Amino acid sequence: MRLSSKRLGVYGIAFAFAIVMNFTVPRLMPGSPVDAMIAQLGSRATPAAIEAIRARFGAGEQPLWLQFLDYLKGLATLDLGQSVKYYPATVVEVLGRSALWTLFLVTTAILFSLAIGVLLGAVSAWRRGGRFDTIVSPLSVVMIAVPPVIIALTALFVFGVSLRWFPVGYAYDPNLDPALNAGFIGSVFYHAILPVLTLSPYLIGEFQTTMRSSMISVLGEDYVTMGRAKGLTPAAVMFGYGVRNALLPVLTNLALMLGAVFGGSIVTEIVFNYPGLGLTLYTASVARDYPVIQGQLLLMTLATLGANLIVDLLYAYVDPRLRERA
Amino acid sequence: MSLVTLFLHQKKALAGLVIVVGLCLMALLAPIIAPGSPSARVGRSHQPPTVEHVMGTTKMGRDVYTQFVWGARNSLSVGFATGVAITVLGTVIGLVAGYAGGRTDAILDLATNAVLVIPNLPLLILLASFSGTVGPGIIMAIIALTSWPWGARMTRSQTLTLKERDFITAARMVGEPAWRILFVELVPNLMPLIGINLVGSIIYAIVAQTTLEYLGFGDPLQVSWGTMLYNAQNSSAIILGAWWDIGAPAAGIALTGLGLALINFTFDEVANPQLRSGPALGRWLRLTRKRNRLLEGR
Repeated sequence: MRLSSKRLGVYGIAFAFAIVMNFTVPRLMPGSPVDAMIAQLGSRATPAAIEAIRARFGAGEQPLWLQFLDYLKGLATLDLGQSVKYYPATVVEVLGRSALWTLFLVTTAILFSLAIGVLLGAVSAWRRGGRFDTIVSPLSVVMIAVPPVIIALTALFVFGVSLRWFPVGYAYDPNLDPALNAGFIGSVFYHAILPVLTLSPYLIGEFQTTMRSSMISVLGEDYVTMGRAKGLTPAAVMFGYGVRNALLPVLTNLALMLGAVFGGSIVTEIVFNYPGLGLTLYTASVARDYPVIQGQLLLMTLATLGANLIVDLLYAYVDPRLRERA
Repeated sequence: MSLVTLFLHQKKALAGLVIVVGLCLMALLAPIIAPGSPSARVGRSHQPPTVEHVMGTTKMGRDVYTQFVWGARNSLSVGFATGVAITVLGTVIGLVAGYAGGRTDAILDLATNAVLVIPNLPLLILLASFSGTVGPGIIMAIIALTSWPWGARMTRSQTLTLKERDFITAARMVGEPAWRILFVELVPNLMPLIGINLVGSIIYAIVAQTTLEYLGFGDPLQVSWGTMLYNAQNSSAIILGAWWDIGAPAAGIALTGLGLALINFTFDEVANPQLRSGPALGRWLRLTRKRNRLLEGR
């Protein structure tokens, strides 16, 4: 467990970096975000609200280090300020509402793509140069290359607007009340199909490509030859010797890709009007709702940090050599 | 076999090269093949493709074909320049961190991880929304400064593995200086990674730039594929069924990505014989299969 305590330090400093970014960017930028936000508030701009915004964004009388301490105190008590657009709702409330939808969307897409991508990659490495490989591998390359914006817009136009097979917005039928019944859950999945399918091609392509090339080098190792020589079945060699060892780079890649996946989900949610973090971020950035934008960056940083930590732990589990050396 | 002949023997790489070179030529020759200003109003609103306007017109009555050709200039030049910047930063940092080890590695790895775990797009949106609309230069700088860690981390971990190999130990024992080991022994072995990194970074830069512009953070006066998407989206082109308005820039971006990815595919095979699957390796593959059959006793 020495591994995780050392990495925890790294992630702590990374998180501090995000906090410092959040604190300094609004204070460095030209123009006055404070005035823009007070203008946004309009008739809701009570003296108390104006004072709160001024203090949070550095237009108050306090010296810089006191402002920073106040900011840290706010973070520690989960007080990220109040949304300008949805005033007086707090940032935590606004983000909490949408975080679950994004989590659902991203997790579904990752699990779905991981299963398909790893299998496709393993099989195409196993039968390298065969017909399966020559069709699937270039296809993966094409899938990675097409940005989510394009896939989302095309899917929306073809399956949403023209064919009318799938809904073109919202996370569930607005006529239904949220409840744990078949109708509601069915509606949630029905509305998630197009967004998940939009996020998946990139993920499947990445998983297939990483898995294939990693599996190819693993299959060249002596222990694979040894496994064959001692008469194991091809399936045992492929999964027990090949896939398990080849998964390592796929895991690294997953952690590295998470930022891109969030990026993809932002775009997907905007195109499909899906009420997740991405749509919230977009409305916040249009409305110049800075507290929400900042909270969003912190939340997504935390999510990526958590995922990296999990991958680090998985690493040690999958590759015994790393348990000691780290 | 030289790089050029190898490229010409690979159908996929050739196809990719033709696509990318074609698009670049189109961008360079914009004044000749699409004369006139891309912002000029030349027809009625949202006209479908005709002989006169081969890709139709936008809501504002501008010619989509002219915008498409001129937009390629901004999108491609920003994408390529940013991609190169990302790769140079990432490779140098990863290489030095992996080889030097010790405190240098600890500091560089810390920086890499710190920037890596901060999701790019939300960070880009934070920076862009505080600074208002931004020109291509600033978009380029923001993308480059936030996305080098991806390549740095891959390069570092590969360097860590490579430096344990016998040929590096041998070079060190003979007394080779560090720079020579880095650039003569390590870099050639990292070539597939650097190549993949470069082309991948260009693809990433184009995607990121398009996304930012689609979200409305680009300079609306600069015609690029991203701002075309933004304008089309804002004029409800999809709901109105004006597919050509969205389709043209979308096809441009998709084609660029496709061409670059096909080239990337070949980088693997040029520098890493283990990954090869092309016709030049038929003999090697046949021998391997024969060996495997023998081993499996079939």
